[in-house]
Amino acid sequence: MSILQAIKNKVRSRSIHVSYVDVGSCNGCDIEVLACLAPRYDIEQYGIFVHNNPREADVLIVIGAYTHGWEEKLAPLWEKIPDPKAAIAIGNCPISGCCFDRRGSYVDPPVSKHIPIAAEVPGCPPRPTEILNAILSVRDLVFADWEVKRR
Amino acid sequence: MTASLYWYLREFARIEWVRKFFFARTAPLVTPAHFRGFPEPTGKACQHALFCMMVCPAVGAIDVVHEGDGWKPRIHKGHCIRCGLCVEACPNGVLMSGRVLETMQAQGTALLVSFRISIDRDLCTGCGNCVTACPVNKQIDAQLGAGGHSSNDEVIMRVDDGDVQVLHEEKCTGCKICETSCPTQAIQIARILEGIQQPVEGGGP
Ligand code: SF4
Ligand code: SF4
Ligand code: SF4
Repeated sequence: MSILQAIKNKVRSRSIHVSYVDVGSCNGCDIEVLACLAPRYDIEQYGIFVHNNPREADVLIVIGAYTHGWEEKLAPLWEKIPDPKAAIAIGNCPISGCCFDRRGSYVDPPVSKHIPIAAEVPGCPPRPTEILNAILSVRDLVFADWEVKRR
Repeated sequence: MTASLYWYLREFARIEWVRKFFFARTAPLVTPAHFRGFPEPTGKACQHALFCMMVCPAVGAIDVVHEGDGWKPRIHKGHCIRCGLCVEACPNGVLMSGRVLETMQAQGTALLVSFRISIDRDLCTGCGNCVTACPVNKQIDAQLGAGGHSSNDEVIMRVDDGDVQVLHEEKCTGCKICETSCPTQAIQIARILEGIQQPVEGGGP
């Protein structure tokens, strides 16, 4: 591994930009993501910066059970994120639809049908620590040695 | 220019700043033991009462499957919402989660599942399908044949005077097999869930 790669790995592991998108949740999981930003869990001390611009993002956090309004929106949004990138499904909704996946309901889970999902965090809602842990472990798996792996 | 460069360097060379920047970890990334997680087995044997499945509010979160020579509840992550109701409803203490079991013991609370059998006399033809289909009946009276007549007083129900008579409602396990075998939908099983609390020594915590 070249020194340049080592430096890239080091820098990338401390600089993760997260964009999050709510494709139809009850807001429970959004509140837990919000708690990650608050001082108690303080996501920024790990070099994780949450904002909502997919063009700058490394990690896309997907929340919610995928309502049909996202049909022609989520995939293009995923395309907009530059490589290397990873999507994380937060909560039961993007995994199974949770309580919304009933007969005749207007949701279309799982989200992995629509975009590739790198990690899933089950829970209704999951705890901030679980969300943090997911982002941190995806970071090491996806971003380290990315140029080497791509070749 | 020089001054601002100086201030920058001075700021970033502060040992405290360097430590915080590279090693800061304020958040406890461990989950406290009392947090309710996904239910886990306690090791006690599952008796196939299925109360967990009856009480679970989430779609497809729990099922009870045959494993080896016994039954075993399976939790499906991504469906389970960690409410802990299955832990409370299980009469045999098969599951645990956080401190649900301890709290139940300390406060003397429990979830009680019971079943009520109702028979519509106008619809019942006295065919006896339900009586013979019921697995509990079959266990009590092995002689029970088609027609649903029985000389055994311990059965849940039997055909008497051209109608089904319920003798021992309390033995019903709520499987609803009788319901599906009835040609006229005359028999109906209601599953009733109630929370109960016994007074505890010292009034609880
Ligand atoms: S997983 Fe639960 S908390 Fe999260 S959005 Fe769905 S229903 Fe709400
Ligand atoms: S904890 Fe609640 S949601 Fe999960 S399996 Fe038990 S009853 Fe169902
Ligand atoms: S619900 Fe099951 S146990 Fe109860 S009476 Fe019907 S068949 Fe028998």
